Amino acid sequence: MKEFWHHLFLPRHTNNYRAGVLHHKILLSFIIFFFSAGFLMSYLRTNFPSVLGTFADISNQQLLLLTNQKREENGLGDLTMNDNLSAAAANKAADMFSKDYWAHNAPDGITPWVFIKGAGYNYIYAGENLARGFNTAPDVINAWMSSPGHRKNMLSSNYQNVGFAVSTGKLSGEDTVLVVEMFGSTTYAPPIVAKTEEKPAVALVASGSSATVAKTDTETLGVQKMDSYKSKIVAATSLPQIKPLINSETLSLVSIRLIMFMFMFAFILDMIIVERKKVVRFVGHNLDHMFLFSLVLLLIIVLAKGVVI
Amino acid sequence: MYKKFQKHEGYYLSLSLIFFLGLLLTFLVSPNFVLQTIIILLTILFYVLWGILHHLINHELTAKIMVEYILIGLLGISILFFAHMGGLI
Repeated sequence: MKEFWHHLFLPRHTNNYRAGVLHHKILLSFIIFFFSAGFLMSYLRTNFPSVLGTFADISNQQLLLLTNQKREENGLGDLTMNDNLSAAAANKAADMFSKDYWAHNAPDGITPWVFIKGAGYNYIYAGENLARGFNTAPDVINAWMSSPGHRKNMLSSNYQNVGFAVSTGKLSGEDTVLVVEMFGSTTYAPPIVAKTEEKPAVALVASGSSATVAKTDTETLGVQKMDSYKSKIVAATSLPQIKPLINSETLSLVSIRLIMFMFMFAFILDMIIVERKKVVRFVGHNLDHMFLFSLVLLLIIVLAKGVVI
Repeated sequence: MYKKFQKHEGYYLSLSLIFFLGLLLTFLVSPNFVLQTIIILLTILFYVLWGILHHLINHELTAKIMVEYILIGLLGISILFFAHMGGLI
């Protein structure tokens, strides 16, 4: 057994002074493995989502707790969970999946406020934060708090209620976990009243990555859209997360980490031993390959990060 | 390792620069999946060609070395493909 491991990782006479795992045949085996496993995972995720699927450990209660924690830290009162706002958030998530978009406004012009009114929440103030691709509630909240527009929504004194939806579905063909946070208030917040009365009928304030609206009595846009789309909104079903037996993201991450660690270890060990023993051989530079592996790891880190709008 | 880096400083600095640019562009074009894929493939292709060219100029280039760079490049692509199919990226 010891010989086997030595053959795999130490450059010696049995492997022509090149660590066994770096031989062409083994490299080719890993390439075939990763491509085949990728196709297999895609097949299983599509056909057996209860066995292998995407799952984020995010619950509405966790999101509420963390949102209120941030508000308390900033001297603001707690928000209360509102079922209508949660229903609006679930409908918004379902709408994004069914129409395949990732934005505050749907391609057919439906705004977030239509979902809020459609769910029976008669708001004075309302706001929406969106996130996708996160695995934990603290990651979502921290991403929102790091973005000025979302932070403004999270820490607004205008809001009294909040609703959340965490839904799984396909966006642009990708399995995605969406988090929708809808804020609202049915009464005017005292310090804002004077300012709001001076504004025109609909004051839509979109601040870069999140959107906030302050409504007066004669809102037109929301009413028109709501009437024509109400049936669609009601028909849209929310897609609650199904916890699969195996989380595909965790499985890929663990496999990649293990195999890349093995290769990096083999490259370093091979390089050190060959340099010490002054072995002359005609192979590529291990340092080059380590550079490429580092790039692959960095790409995974950059691309695996969730996004907020 | 440091000696090797020093000896081929220009080669490694240019490789790092292209990798950095590839990473930056991949981040900047997000979430355009097609553009991201093209940038990643071009960056890896550069790595393969640059490695082969470097050996041709500074060392002895053999078919075995060429195959090694191609296989390592393909391994990088296959890992990213696996991560994508697994929903990680």
